[in-house]
Amino acid sequence: MSSTQTTEVSEPRVVHLEDLKVMVGGQGGDGTLTVINLLSHALKQIGAYTYDTRNVLSRIRGGHADGVLRASVRPILSIGDGLDVLVAFDEEAVEVAREQLLDHAVVIYDNSHSQLKTVLKPTVKVYSAKFSEIAGLELKKTLLKNTVSFAVLCRALGLADQLAEEAINWRYARRGGDVLQSNLQALKIGFRLADQLGVKPSISFPKTEPKQGLIQITGDEAVGMGFIAGGGRFYAGYPITPASEILEYLQANLPKFNGVALQAEDEISAINMALGASLAGARAMVATSGPGQDLMTEGLGQAGMAEIPLVIVEVQRAGPSTGMPTKHEQSDVNHVVFAGHGDFPRLVVAPADASDCFYLTVDALNLAEKYQLPVFILMDQALGQNTQTVPEFDFSRVNIDRGKLLTQADLNRISVYKRYEFTEDGVSPRTIPGTPDGFFQVTGNEHNEWGFVSVDRTNRAKIMRKRMLKVEAAKKDMPRGHVYGDQDARVGFISYGSNLGPILEAMEQLGKQGVKTKFLLLRSIYPLLEEVQEFLESVNTAFVVESNLTGQLAGLIRREYGYADKIVRINKYDGSVFRPSDIVSQTLSQLPRNGGE
Amino acid sequence: MGVSEVPKVFTPQTPIWCPGCGDFGVLAALKKALNDLEIPPHETILVGGIGCSGHIHNDLLVYGYHSLHGRLLPTAIGIKLANPRLTVIAAGGDGDGYAIGGNHFLHALRRNPSIVYLVMNNGTYGLTKGQPSPTAQIGFEGTKEIPFEPILTALSIRSTTFVARGFSGNQVQLQFVIKEAIQHANAGKGFAFLDVLSPCVTYNDTYAEWRKSTVDMNADKSFDPTNRALVFERVLNTLQEGKIPTGLLYKGESPSFESMQLKDPASPIATQDLTPAGKIEEFKKLIARYR
Repeated sequence: MSSTQTTEVSEPRVVHLEDLKVMVGGQGGDGTLTVINLLSHALKQIGAYTYDTRNVLSRIRGGHADGVLRASVRPILSIGDGLDVLVAFDEEAVEVAREQLLDHAVVIYDNSHSQLKTVLKPTVKVYSAKFSEIAGLELKKTLLKNTVSFAVLCRALGLADQLAEEAINWRYARRGGDVLQSNLQALKIGFRLADQLGVKPSISFPKTEPKQGLIQITGDEAVGMGFIAGGGRFYAGYPITPASEILEYLQANLPKFNGVALQAEDEISAINMALGASLAGARAMVATSGPGQDLMTEGLGQAGMAEIPLVIVEVQRAGPSTGMPTKHEQSDVNHVVFAGHGDFPRLVVAPADASDCFYLTVDALNLAEKYQLPVFILMDQALGQNTQTVPEFDFSRVNIDRGKLLTQADLNRISVYKRYEFTEDGVSPRTIPGTPDGFFQVTGNEHNEWGFVSVDRTNRAKIMRKRMLKVEAAKKDMPRGHVYGDQDARVGFISYGSNLGPILEAMEQLGKQGVKTKFLLLRSIYPLLEEVQEFLESVNTAFVVESNLTGQLAGLIRREYGYADKIVRINKYDGSVFRPSDIVSQTLSQLPRNGGE
Repeated sequence: MGVSEVPKVFTPQTPIWCPGCGDFGVLAALKKALNDLEIPPHETILVGGIGCSGHIHNDLLVYGYHSLHGRLLPTAIGIKLANPRLTVIAAGGDGDGYAIGGNHFLHALRRNPSIVYLVMNNGTYGLTKGQPSPTAQIGFEGTKEIPFEPILTALSIRSTTFVARGFSGNQVQLQFVIKEAIQHANAGKGFAFLDVLSPCVTYNDTYAEWRKSTVDMNADKSFDPTNRALVFERVLNTLQEGKIPTGLLYKGESPSFESMQLKDPASPIATQDLTPAGKIEEFKKLIARYR
């Protein structure tokens, strides 16, 4: 067929990989993420752990968009370095991927609009075909090029046709007969094209039994599930990238548990709705990103002052202002730790993978009610939106602790009830409306124990201390971090969130180069816990790794503990996630001459 | 229910308002309405705003919440959705509701949650010493802006179900409209919006003027409060004559927000048993599609 062409290859050679990286790129709306999703499912069926990421523009259609899928025989939480396969729906995708393409790479190119002009390494194998044109002609729908290309991709990876078909069934069965049938037909057309192109498996991934007890899920979805399991029943949000998936997840699933997830007119309204619901007795949460958190800051202070339990999820994106809505960054550490006028208590936890997102959401709900304050779950775009393979969540581990919540039976045993009673740990018992003897006055004005407005100096000083005492009291319940690597190493990393994966891989590479390292993964950002000081004491150099320009986490650690001589920053702020190689090179270039010893 | 001999909870405070403040009339009428309707105090929550009016929740024995400036409505909506059994009354000022909270006002009308929204409207920011509010008359403190007319705004939103206006100088009418509003909300019929002319005796003493210019629309038997177009026309004409329409102005029907949002309004979210033990199988269904 004239629409196909193949580069001359001297002889078939198969590269066996235990770690496979595939990019699918094109214009927004081309369905690149669909191909990633299908391949991810197929690879999971042969025992792979997968991790995938998206690189899209803030527009519905058009502009370069790509997805990268990495599959490995071991658990991974990073996109790694390099590309083994590229599916490109246009020339721009090839240009974007060119530098990452490894010597043995395979490129599947849609030449419906133009022949490939980008010059690639001679070792790279290219299959070109008019996927889009063929889909348009034979299926009357050019978008089905994604499924056509998926068939060719599976053949190039030596994946059984049946596996590809199963993936299509898995994805489209729910969408009804027509959609499923046209995609199955597109797959057949793709296999026919692969035959015409003479596609031979040139890259292979080991096939094992699918691993049981694993799921592929994003951090945002895991937060949603953790919220439901943790007794969360009221959610209010406003659409914002990259946190909208939490709103969507909960709108689809929370009603099944007699809960409410609603879309407010703005973030100011969302947080106040959640405050109202929490005050009435529901476990409540909001989720947003930096710009939305700007608007929620007013309500944040109210939660702190009025002592209303509330969980706020902040999925960071590239700021400031509107910034780069779809791009990754970790530049809201200062925002969540310091936002708001006046001194008031808050807690900040930071999950590192989807599994952690689930369990820490449950913890955050408990912390919020136990200490009656706002609790942030600090995430980032990569953690929120990238699909990861993690162990199935264990619902039997979920424990609900509502703290000092008085029922009428409790009230019958006490002679006086004061909403803001002074107590040893600063936490006053609360009640919910509807309780016959539980009347309260709750206010964001300074108040006395009864909740009546007060500017009395003695009361003011005492009640300020009462509120802040809760942060100290909460330390014992804050999630501990994890220390990875060589306990004796004198070179350390400190970081949080989605940097976990790239740092672990960088440590392995550094180890091969003779640099022994260890890594403190923080899960409590505010307050910082003693673990930070212990770790800093144990190393000569501590690299604080974070996706921002000014080193916000490093600044927070220095502010709390000092150690300015030991702390060295590793930063990236171009809108993309850390690759292991970024961390290796920045570590080596900044390592003291003595290798940190 | 434990009945204590000595007060177990807070004692309502004496209002902080200036002698003669219109808000005294609002508080008196509200107390009377709640008593007459035998609304259980412990199942009532009064959400106050910021400003002089934002003291009202301190002055009677119900649950009280002092919301952020302008944010009464989102808060009250959150409370209502969490526990539809409660009588939820949001009571704030005109600056709070029509200026800083204006967006929430529009969306509350649009969503139609079954809560009472009572605005103590005096045309000025009294607590910050007399700046003009969105409802200030032209000329007050030099303002040249056309006043906001909340009644017309409310009537223009298609899901509006209850609009009334009272005057704190007319207790009989005020008690009537407050009772109507509470009954509307507590029957789950939706958002009961009630604008109350409540003069600020210190910065904008409009008693004499409002006594002259208020017109009880219900006095005219041809006034049909269920005919939206007619109501709009009459209200507009009355305003154009330099008069202020009062009374029960409009009653309509539209699904309530809680009926749209809640799967089972009879089983409040706020009092649900959250223990995961009995729900593990339901939770596992959530996992299935990610395997």
